Amino acid sequence: MTAMIEVQGLSKSYGSKVGITDVSFQVEEGDVFGFLGPNGAGKTTTIRLLMALLHADAGSARIAGLDCWEKSVEIKRFIGYMPGEPALDPNLTGGQILEYFAHLRGGVDQAYLKQLIQRFELDTSRKFRQYSTGNKRKVVLIQAFMHRPRLLILDEPTSGLDPLNQQEFDRMVFEARSEGRTVFLSSHVLSEVEKTCNTVGIIREGRLVRIGDVAEVKAIKRYEIQITFANPIPAETFKTVEGVTAVETLNHGNGVRLTMQGPADAVIKAAAHYSVVSLTTYEPSLEDIFLRYYEGDGSAAREANNVA
Amino acid sequence: MWLRNVFLKTLRDYRIPILGWGIGMGLVVVSPMASVAALVTTPEARQQLAAIAASFAWNADAVAVTTIGGYATFKIGIFIFLIIVWPILAGSRMLRGEEERGSLDMLLSVPRPRLRVALEKLAAMWTALLAMGVLIGLIAFAGGRQFGADFGLGDALVFGLDLALISAVFGGVALLISQFTEERGPAAGATAGLLLIFIVLDMVHRIAPNTEWISRLSPIYYYNLSKGLIPSYGVNAGAMVLLAVLAIGLGGIAVWLFNWRDVGGTVLLPRWLRLPEHQASRVLPVADWSLRSVYARSLRTIAMPTFWWTLGIAGFAGWMVYAVQLLETKLSTLLSGNAAFTQLIKNIGGGDASLNAGFLSAMFVFLPLFLMAFAVTQVNGWSADEQDGRLELVLATPQPRLSVLLGRFAALATATIAISVITLLVCAASAAASGLQLNGGNLAAAILGMIPLGLLVAGLGYLAAGWLRTAADTGLLSFLLAFWFFVSFIGPELNLPNATLRLSPFYYYGSPLLNGLQLTSILGVIAVAAVALALGAVRFVRKDIGV
Repeated sequence: MTAMIEVQGLSKSYGSKVGITDVSFQVEEGDVFGFLGPNGAGKTTTIRLLMALLHADAGSARIAGLDCWEKSVEIKRFIGYMPGEPALDPNLTGGQILEYFAHLRGGVDQAYLKQLIQRFELDTSRKFRQYSTGNKRKVVLIQAFMHRPRLLILDEPTSGLDPLNQQEFDRMVFEARSEGRTVFLSSHVLSEVEKTCNTVGIIREGRLVRIGDVAEVKAIKRYEIQITFANPIPAETFKTVEGVTAVETLNHGNGVRLTMQGPADAVIKAAAHYSVVSLTTYEPSLEDIFLRYYEGDGSAAREANNVA
Repeated sequence: MWLRNVFLKTLRDYRIPILGWGIGMGLVVVSPMASVAALVTTPEARQQLAAIAASFAWNADAVAVTTIGGYATFKIGIFIFLIIVWPILAGSRMLRGEEERGSLDMLLSVPRPRLRVALEKLAAMWTALLAMGVLIGLIAFAGGRQFGADFGLGDALVFGLDLALISAVFGGVALLISQFTEERGPAAGATAGLLLIFIVLDMVHRIAPNTEWISRLSPIYYYNLSKGLIPSYGVNAGAMVLLAVLAIGLGGIAVWLFNWRDVGGTVLLPRWLRLPEHQASRVLPVADWSLRSVYARSLRTIAMPTFWWTLGIAGFAGWMVYAVQLLETKLSTLLSGNAAFTQLIKNIGGGDASLNAGFLSAMFVFLPLFLMAFAVTQVNGWSADEQDGRLELVLATPQPRLSVLLGRFAALATATIAISVITLLVCAASAAASGLQLNGGNLAAAILGMIPLGLLVAGLGYLAAGWLRTAADTGLLSFLLAFWFFVSFIGPELNLPNATLRLSPFYYYGSPLLNGLQLTSILGVIAVAAVALALGAVRFVRKDIGV
């Protein structure tokens, strides 16, 4: 496989505020690369550098072998881009926006464009300012896909989309991958990246802390299960259960909060020995995961030095 | 301190306009004061100045025009609309602008009654207008002192208060209309249209006898009843109270309607007043010419403002051409007897004031000023687009940055040329209709010669936008415009050194109606505009977008 994106020692700061520092990674053609990080980690800065909207302080970024800054026009011919906070002329209708960007791209397949509009059930007759947040994102998503780009760069693409449209988006990413196209998407939701991507890079405080295949995500993924029982249970019940990394007793022994890694099968079986009132599971924020995972031991810095 | 409540935060947002508009308009008021002393050196000259002013009663009441305050009041005349531009913009943006941006949703999510939020914003606008009025009053007082005027500080402040009140009335009109429109633009446009109608209504009683009842329908009439800078005329307290009541009433109704309607929605008009609903098509607008390029899109975006500015500029120029011919006999008599006024006209117009063309030339100085103001408003849109992130997706397409910038500039240049060409046609038609003999070549030179001045402002605006945010960019250009106008308008009267006069592009524009264009001068302006645009392009091509 050849590299579609090559980033080497990329740094960018905004005055005294650091955006990203010495970021290096590579995305192979045909990959779906998830760029994972909490808010403010440097995902958007990296993406805007790839899109030549920002000029790097140091390092290089290349797409399909072309320098992102020097050859930005050539590169943008085969890129579909979705910004994190799309801003468009509020007085244009969705249809006008799509046609305008189609023209700026030198024309697109109108039949395919209509197909995309149908897939997302977008009403193109409304003005952009009249759209809901989700519909605004649909417009921008469609414009990113409408010219069948070789590379899609999508900044938090599913933010604001309802579950049905998220599924549609997942299908489109899958189709893109099956057609050999490359997708670079950023997210701060672990499960989303886990579901969609085959390669993952994790950025935190402007530094790339981990990169590898999607299995790497599972290594750091944590989730929590909160169980409420009809009667108090012994706290040690779950301490040795497989997958449990931490136990917190709640309500004087009537409940537990378990920090989990891996399958929950053993926990469910252990809980089944008691009278369960409720069971809730949720995924903590990425920042919470990072805080726990990298807590105090400096492993982030160590791992950053060993990125692939 | 400034972020404690909605009132203070809004006032904080107005701090640049308060200073910029207050000082700029203050200078506009002071500008004519410099020339009065030279105009009234003899009793005959006084009489002639009064007679000339009376001939232009359509512009303003010719009251005590031989005094500094009276002359300044007369000269401001219908240019009151310049002062009212900001309150119209502020009134239309106050609630509707925030609704368009979506920022009002956030603001109304705090535990504070909606009525109070709106009232605090309204109070902030009134306070800003009052502060501008005080600034204008102080500058007028300082100018008056400098040139030996007979009005005091109190008089000047009352003059400023009167300006603040008429501004608050039109700010209130804009705010009220914005309750019925989905966007702030139409509200501002409709209010500006109403302002022009009210100015004309006020003018009627000064032109036609027994029509005062018509003028009383206009708030401008009540504004003109007080003349703070003319102590002998005094102030009409009743008229000022009426303006205050109008401002409070309009603002109050607007806020009440806002409190009652949906946020983001409009107050429904009765069915017979509604425009027919436009059924938007779901068919993709494949053949829409305005979506074919950055240039076409930009041209479509500025089409409506261009239309309104063309109406104003061409209308003003056409009217001046027509009016000069109507006043021909009176003017030639009066001007030939008043050496100082002749000199003033010569200074401004740049030629022999005994000709109609000389007087017209002096009036035509305003045309490039208006065109440059138009350019300022459009450059403002460029920096706002970058600041608001609207350039990001355009620059994500395979369009070179340079062509995006040049596309925008070309659209502005096209609009500037269109305004000038239409103005030329209107003037030619007006001259033909009134029988005024003008040198066709010079008329074309005077009107088409202002195009480079408009492009100069645009070039400088694009250059400054490379570093400055929207408000600062607009503020800088507005300041430059006021400075250039001030230097060119009163510079010769103050015997400013030639080097200072040369800082203003009006110097290079010269008096083309009389002398034609000085090719080297105008090429110099074009060269500076081109250099500014080139530097702006270099900056834009290299800069970080949206940072």
